[in-house]
Amino acid sequence: MEPHRRTANNAGAPNLNLAGVADSVSHLNGHRPAAMDSGSFHAAAQRILTTVNTVIDGKSDAAKLALTVLLAQGHLLVEDVPGVGKTLLAKTLARTIDCTVNRIQFTPDLLPSDVTGVSIYNQASRLFEFRPGAVFANIVIGDEINRASAKTQSALLECMEEHQVTVDGTSYKLDEPFMVVATQNPIEMEGTYPLPEAQRDRFMARISMGYPDKAAEIEMLETHQAVSPLANVSPVVTAADVAAMTATVQQVYVSEAVKEYTVSVGRATRESPLLRLGASPRSMLQLLRAAKATAALDGRDFVLPDDVRDVAESVLAHRIILDRKAAGAGESPNSVLRGILSRLPVPQAQNGQPNRAAAAGSRNR
Amino acid sequence: MTMAPARPTGAGHEAQPRPQMPAGRMRAGAYPWAMAASITVAVCGAALSLNGVLRGWNWYWPVMTTVLVVAFTLAVLRSVRAQPLLVTAGGFLALGAVLTLTFFRSSSFLWFVPTGATVPELDRLIRRASETVLAETAPVAPNAGIVMVVCAVLGLAVILVDALSVPLGMPAASGTGLLALLVVPAMIKPQSVGVWSFVATVAGYLLILACSQWFAPGGRLQGASARSPGLLRSAMLTGAVALVATLLLPLAIPGFDRGTFPQGSRLNPWGASTGLNPMITLGSSLRTPDGSGRITYATNSPNPLYLRSVTVDNFDGDSWGPDDRTASRVPLDGRIDPGYAVLADEQVRLVTAIDAGAFTSPYLPVPYPPETIRGLGGQWTWDPATLSIKGTDTTTRRQEYLVTSAVPKLSAVLLAQSSAPVRGIPDIFTRIPGNVPDIVKNTARTVTGAAGTPYQKAMAIQKYLRSSEFTYSLQSPVQGGYDGNGLSVLADFLQQKSGYCIHYASAMAVMARLEGIPSRIAVGYAPGRLTGATVTVSGQGALPEYEADARDAHAWPELYFQGLGWVPFEPTPSRGVVPDYATEASAPSVPDSLGNNDGLIPDTAPVPAASPSATTQAVPGSGGSSTGEGAQLTPWLLGASAVLGLVLLAAAPHLVRLGTRSRRLRPKDQGLAVPLAWNEIRDLGTDYGLPAADSETPRAYSARFRAELLGEPGGMDQDAHHAVSSFTSAFEQYRYGRPGGAGAPDTGTPAEDIAAGVAAVEASLRANATLPRRLAAAWLPPSVTRRLGLLLRMPFSAAGRAIRKAVHAVASFRLVKPVQPTTGGRSGAGAADGGSRTGRG
Repeated sequence: MEPHRRTANNAGAPNLNLAGVADSVSHLNGHRPAAMDSGSFHAAAQRILTTVNTVIDGKSDAAKLALTVLLAQGHLLVEDVPGVGKTLLAKTLARTIDCTVNRIQFTPDLLPSDVTGVSIYNQASRLFEFRPGAVFANIVIGDEINRASAKTQSALLECMEEHQVTVDGTSYKLDEPFMVVATQNPIEMEGTYPLPEAQRDRFMARISMGYPDKAAEIEMLETHQAVSPLANVSPVVTAADVAAMTATVQQVYVSEAVKEYTVSVGRATRESPLLRLGASPRSMLQLLRAAKATAALDGRDFVLPDDVRDVAESVLAHRIILDRKAAGAGESPNSVLRGILSRLPVPQAQNGQPNRAAAAGSRNR
Repeated sequence: MTMAPARPTGAGHEAQPRPQMPAGRMRAGAYPWAMAASITVAVCGAALSLNGVLRGWNWYWPVMTTVLVVAFTLAVLRSVRAQPLLVTAGGFLALGAVLTLTFFRSSSFLWFVPTGATVPELDRLIRRASETVLAETAPVAPNAGIVMVVCAVLGLAVILVDALSVPLGMPAASGTGLLALLVVPAMIKPQSVGVWSFVATVAGYLLILACSQWFAPGGRLQGASARSPGLLRSAMLTGAVALVATLLLPLAIPGFDRGTFPQGSRLNPWGASTGLNPMITLGSSLRTPDGSGRITYATNSPNPLYLRSVTVDNFDGDSWGPDDRTASRVPLDGRIDPGYAVLADEQVRLVTAIDAGAFTSPYLPVPYPPETIRGLGGQWTWDPATLSIKGTDTTTRRQEYLVTSAVPKLSAVLLAQSSAPVRGIPDIFTRIPGNVPDIVKNTARTVTGAAGTPYQKAMAIQKYLRSSEFTYSLQSPVQGGYDGNGLSVLADFLQQKSGYCIHYASAMAVMARLEGIPSRIAVGYAPGRLTGATVTVSGQGALPEYEADARDAHAWPELYFQGLGWVPFEPTPSRGVVPDYATEASAPSVPDSLGNNDGLIPDTAPVPAASPSATTQAVPGSGGSSTGEGAQLTPWLLGASAVLGLVLLAAAPHLVRLGTRSRRLRPKDQGLAVPLAWNEIRDLGTDYGLPAADSETPRAYSARFRAELLGEPGGMDQDAHHAVSSFTSAFEQYRYGRPGGAGAPDTGTPAEDIAAGVAAVEASLRANATLPRRLAAAWLPPSVTRRLGLLLRMPFSAAGRAIRKAVHAVASFRLVKPVQPTTGGRSGAGAADGGSRTGRG
């Protein structure tokens, strides 16, 4: 199946910025758009959330998390059974923002070049010319990502991590904001290529939609009868707004205590006897970024341990692997994480007393 | 009196943000000084009453110095806002320093610091004090020992009163400390506390109350209860009315000092002439369950010996007591002459070696009638009229002496023949007291109805008293309200027909006088028991040894028979031994075998009374002021110290908690106000049963706190809700926010706001908690006890951790060795992996 492009127009050259690719390895350290003030940040966030909530009933948590991931410049993995609105959530979020959106339906025969783009020989100019793939968009919706071959999946890796595409030795930078929202169906695993750990690690957060509650479901039946709910959605923020919001999130202050707490969460997962694989240092980074976005969405310019806790399950659960015994005992990654969080001391002491574990942890970075 | 600087002076520059707040809340200001002055007035006033317990006024200056120094130290510490516990500790240190300076300067380091050499000196002084207490009668000479003890106790009283009124916030209860001081003179001095001392103490107490009203004391979060002049006026009025009523009421209401409450008179501040009744002391001595004040003696007498200390011969007045007749006393330096010729054919010469041991009394217990006494130390005199022997500058304590006595061999026949009228006896022994109750007269007449001779009369009286109509009881006089002496008591006794030796003895003595027989009451020891040991007395060989102690304290009548002298009788059933001559052939009385006495004494509740040595010493006090002062001083001092210690101990958690709070609400560094306030909220939660978990974020705890401990938001508890959430967000900002960032409005949070917030939260917590929870939160705050528990557990838990770690290490070493190290390897690999991948970040 060909990549489905809803907006195919922006794949053109102006965004490619070929010259500046090599040096700008990090979008974090690159030039920053001006941050938003907290009032307009809050208003914009509210607009997005309200819009998303009109489309997807009773899933405000999922919507908020999706927005959090967007603002934290992460990628989102939506995993649930068919028909609970995974794709709808992704599409709605994309639609609320006035930006380019590509949708890729992953299938076993999808080729990496379909994702990244391909250089073709232009007879007229006698030059190889790059035709951008589906990944060149602000928001890329990857449907059923586990159905693609490992090769194709890993083609997405570089894009997601580096925000750039390298084809034939040339790197092309992707536009900001760039977010991959992939959906995955955990039920029909037959003939699929489950995402390997390394790839799962690139998604900042995984959410399960879950079934809506009764009232929401009834309302959904009523409102969504005649017309697609998406039809009424029009963008409420611009891409520039999102970039500014992202900049705001980056400026959220993280105190030593919270860093210490974040690190100790990670170390606790690594030391837990219930887990075969704990959280990676990268996941700590993403956890903290997600926490920053949460704090910003909450109207704060500093991160609380609460923020870390709030996003910890979503950020970490898909990265850790249960020990066989624990799995046999009915534990799930989420329950293990909850257990860890409920035991982990929150640093509340006075300033200037990071404990030894945290100090050791930060040395690893 | 010293209240001139009582008004807060810091109001001008301090309370600008909130002018209506009394400055005393924010600053120590004049409050500590005013309070210390009040306490000084109260304690010094109470100390005034010790004049009369201690002789003269020389002792007052060291006492005053001590009180002033301790109070001053407390005030200084409090004015620099030290923690309450520290203030109290500082008080103790100051007390120690001033005592060292006053009493142990020679052995001290830099005058104030006690050294090792101080300890034996302290021991010496305490021993001196206890000897004074045991040996001397009030008023005692103020020697260094007793003055040191008094200084120490008064210093402790200052600390106690201060602790009660300031950090514990119970100024009203501080009266107990003052009362403890007043009780000593009230019990010991015949003129009780004394008006001036009472007035001064009460004035000081009222000042303490007033101070705590004027200034909300530090650490107490009272609402803005401004001092109102109306309240002050009514308090003053109430106090004054109570004072006047206390002074006047005992005069107006009769009976307060009689009947069941003979001690009621002790509380009369006007100091009526009633002395502490020696008979009561005798009774309480008999009721002492343990035998102390042990005397041992060895005698060659075939019969048990009564040891006589002193006699009571004046039956007039409300209170009987021995008459010392100091004027007519003769120094003891040779033979003691009974002053009358004994016509008995035969006299038995007895030799008795007595070891007075710990028994302490100015009166020497000797068998009657003593002829010569050897081996005594010190100056002694004897009274020709009664042959009582008294030390002028010494006591019986640790005396060992040998008494020879000549006892006429009396027989019933001899006594029966002695019908001659009595001559040559001072008329004090024959004078019939005025207003003898009718029942006594009637009983005497009835009992002696048919008897002709004095001996027959005496025998009739003794027979009557020993008859089965009468029961021996130490308790019923107490219960019946006639546990004393005097003629009215005698009437009660004859009606109730139950009492102990003093009642029987006085009944027989008075009735004998009514019948014309000279009589007096001897006070001393009943024979006691054989110890089984023998004592070798030179010239006598080994003599059997007897012992007698407080339980053998006894009183018996002596009747005078012309030609035969003073003859003891034994009217008390089940006590002592009835002499042969007083035993009627027809009615064989049951002479109690020696050592049988104890069994017949009814079991009594332990009377925490005076040590017996002192009580017996008290019996022969001079005139109306004979007291057991020494005996009672020690328990009172000890008791006061113990009460003080207990109060402080019980209040320690409360004090610590208050101190913690006070420090938190008035931090030296304003920047720490927010975290300290948050700690306070956490501790409040802990106190009210909702401790914060380590893994709980401030926000989560705050939510739980508000949901579980406070009422519904919006109602009465709205303030508390608001305070908790603002504390939470302020703390979050402080702890996790940008340091010094613009978004730190809390740094300017005035201490008043925090204090008011904490007060609101606490009020709300109180309102929503059960009573036990409230009490526990106030007096045994879990936040304090938990910390204490952690502290106590620390060594154990550390040991436990070490053991677990060791066991774990051993176990993992064994398990892991064959395979690749799991935990370390995994995390190491993970870190390396992550490090390489995130290298760009």
